[in-house]
Amino acid sequence: MRELRIVGNVTNLPTNVFGHRSLVWWGTIGFLVIEGSTLFICAVSYFYLKKNFSTWPPEYILRPALTAATVQAALMLLSNIPMVMIDRAARRLDLRTVRAGMVIISLLAAVMCVLRVLEMHALQVRWDSSAYGSVAWAVVFTHATLLFMETVEVLVFTVLVHSPNMEQRDLSGISDNALYWYFMTGVWIPLAAIVFLTPYIT
Amino acid sequence: MSTTLSPAEAPVEPGRRPASVSEVVMQLEETWRAEPGLRGWLRSVDHKSIATRYIVTAFVFFLLGGIEAAMMRAQLARPENTVLGPDAYNQFFTMHGTTMMFLFAVPIMEAVGLYLVPLMIGARNVVFPKLNAYGYWVYLFGGVFLYVMFFLNTGPDTGWFSYVPLAGPEYSPGKRVDVWAQTITFTEIAALVASVELIVTILKTRAPGMSLNRMPLFVWAMLVQSFMVLFAMPWVATASQFLAMDRLLGTHFFNPAEGGDPLLWQHLFWFFGHPEVYIIFVPALGFVSSIVATFTRRPVFGYPAMVLSMVGTGFLGFGLWVHHMFATGLPQLGESFFTGASLMIAIPSGIQIFCWIATIWAGRPRFTVPFLWVLGFVVLFIIGGFTGVMIASVPFDQQVHDTYFIVAHFHYVLIGGAVFPLFGAFYFWFPKVTGRMLSERLGRWNFWLFFVGMNLTFFPMHQLGFEGMPRRVYTYLAETGWGDLNLLASVGAATIATSVLLFLINVAVSLRSGSLAGDDPWVGDTLEWATSSPPRPYNFPLIPVVEGRSPLWGHPGELPAVAGLRTDVREVLVTSMLDAEPDSRHRHPPPTIWPFLTAVATAVTFITLIFTPWGLVIGAPLLFLALLGWAWPHGRDHAEQRRIEAEAPVEVTA
Repeated sequence: MRELRIVGNVTNLPTNVFGHRSLVWWGTIGFLVIEGSTLFICAVSYFYLKKNFSTWPPEYILRPALTAATVQAALMLLSNIPMVMIDRAARRLDLRTVRAGMVIISLLAAVMCVLRVLEMHALQVRWDSSAYGSVAWAVVFTHATLLFMETVEVLVFTVLVHSPNMEQRDLSGISDNALYWYFMTGVWIPLAAIVFLTPYIT
Repeated sequence: MSTTLSPAEAPVEPGRRPASVSEVVMQLEETWRAEPGLRGWLRSVDHKSIATRYIVTAFVFFLLGGIEAAMMRAQLARPENTVLGPDAYNQFFTMHGTTMMFLFAVPIMEAVGLYLVPLMIGARNVVFPKLNAYGYWVYLFGGVFLYVMFFLNTGPDTGWFSYVPLAGPEYSPGKRVDVWAQTITFTEIAALVASVELIVTILKTRAPGMSLNRMPLFVWAMLVQSFMVLFAMPWVATASQFLAMDRLLGTHFFNPAEGGDPLLWQHLFWFFGHPEVYIIFVPALGFVSSIVATFTRRPVFGYPAMVLSMVGTGFLGFGLWVHHMFATGLPQLGESFFTGASLMIAIPSGIQIFCWIATIWAGRPRFTVPFLWVLGFVVLFIIGGFTGVMIASVPFDQQVHDTYFIVAHFHYVLIGGAVFPLFGAFYFWFPKVTGRMLSERLGRWNFWLFFVGMNLTFFPMHQLGFEGMPRRVYTYLAETGWGDLNLLASVGAATIATSVLLFLINVAVSLRSGSLAGDDPWVGDTLEWATSSPPRPYNFPLIPVVEGRSPLWGHPGELPAVAGLRTDVREVLVTSMLDAEPDSRHRHPPPTIWPFLTAVATAVTFITLIFTPWGLVIGAPLLFLALLGWAWPHGRDHAEQRRIEAEAPVEVTA
């Protein structure tokens, strides 16, 4: 064994850090890349299959209805306001705002899940009726899995921040979860435009 | 109102600050102690323990894939042979390809990375140890599932790239292709988990002073490979889900009658499939650099060129996928572009070969067994590279497409480019992992038999391809005149099998009675050689400090280090991304059963989904419960975290 020559001391370094200093933040970025890639592949497949059709959607299929998708897109965009507030509150260790904010976000997430089911109905096509239906469903369903998982995570965090089991580091987790929320809601806007508006402009 | 997040009633044990290095070691031994027995085995989160299992499991799959290859060579040894019938042969070549690519090559490269990277960068463990354990279990369950189904005569039979429409519901009824598609999902999850693990470990937990431009070339290789996995694997995972849905839910992604497109499958598959080759090959470049530097006693020539070449390979690897599709009638401009891109990849590969030759030239090479494998790699990879340049040309490719010429080419590239360096790596790092040396004498036999066997098996296949022998035929007529070369190839396969058998004997004998290795048997230059063999669960008593690219060659006999990490709970040092300056201390989870249980829930979900869409309804609550158990603060993890937070209470508003 080599002789150890001590050249520094790290005792005074912090143990609870936020943003890019946190390991979980980096892990979250990794999973954003994976999930972003999956959604991107669905979108690429959408346009790849579209070239096989002279009309899009095929003539016998209705265009998607827009109401649910419009409300959903607006809600997702606006939900970032409370999420930014939660993120900032977590970073300044303001537990009261975090607790209140997480309750609001939980309710919003639940509404979004209901809206997602309505959006699936609004596609007005089954997944097994044509390649158009298959790929439209692929985009919506893939994003839905992200939304459902995030809803579960938000609910668990909401219970956790109100429980005596809470740890300091959970505030950092709340902030990392906010990053995921920005991604999940932000990425839906172009995807919704692809699935719900492309059939109207072609 | 202001309060603290560490309630007074929490059990708080004051931190014990060790006074000397020996006391540090005593406390670390206690804190990082591996749990005994089956329970401890299932709960382990130590990267070395997980990676060793990964390597052993992947090697078992290598042996199974090898047995399948041997069976195919037995069948093809003479015309109209009857060892395997056509249906069995289809399953055997599909299982061989699927096993070697998805269950052996990628996992074993990542596994070696998961073992070595934390040691090479001076870290105590990977950054997300629970996720690491989860990845292994998912991979294991996926592989076992595939083989159970194979033994039940439900092994996939449409080739490792499972082209539609052959693999679609119309031409492949039954569950064979579904088994393939779901195995892919298992292995891709494992690969993606490992890639995130390695990227964050490398970027955030390097020893102080190990700035990016001082990182060992092997760590660079694993970083490039992990990014490639991150961007490539989602393509095949999505494609295999599309295929499964076409088969199980009646979607039409690949069904031309309803506007679907079989070529979409080929694009999605090869956008993963070509980078896959480099995902396997780039870590091997890292092995070669480590071995060359150690056995020539000098740092690898042209460090910036080497790093840029690996990064360049990573980017170019994504621009070549269409060269697998030259025979599908693509627009000519597209074909020309992909020919150019395919030729271009020779440039970074060539730069690296020349850098190694320059290093060997200027150094004092020691012709040990690891070094022999590297020399074998150079020869075989150059042959495979040459034929690669040949088939990058569209007219040539059209002639040899789907013939044995292609089989010869990719086995030279994959065995020469990846398996040879891997065996070199086994011989090189076996002493670190086990504390004992492998026999050099048996190692030389192992190497030469493999080298001769490899050439006997695959060189004649070039000629067979020219003579028009197609891939994936279970037999041929005597009148074709292919019998002699096929027999030669089969003799070569037997030679390789003998060589691998010798390796197994070497491992078995050396584990029991190999000479003791000591910390640093080869006088290496990277940090793993500064710790004990095998390393203790905490890797290093104190976190090393790095002052150059060859940290051990600059300070013979001593190791600069930092003190101050806690020893009474598991704690790791987080550093900044570019310059590796100490930034924070991060508490590390103790052993836990939840990764194993989550992987069980994952496996139940995936396997049930093959038989009914209700698998989602059954699996979702299981997964929810497993993830809740994983994430909810409880047990020793919670108690330790409370202890830390009690010492440094944070004022919060509540």
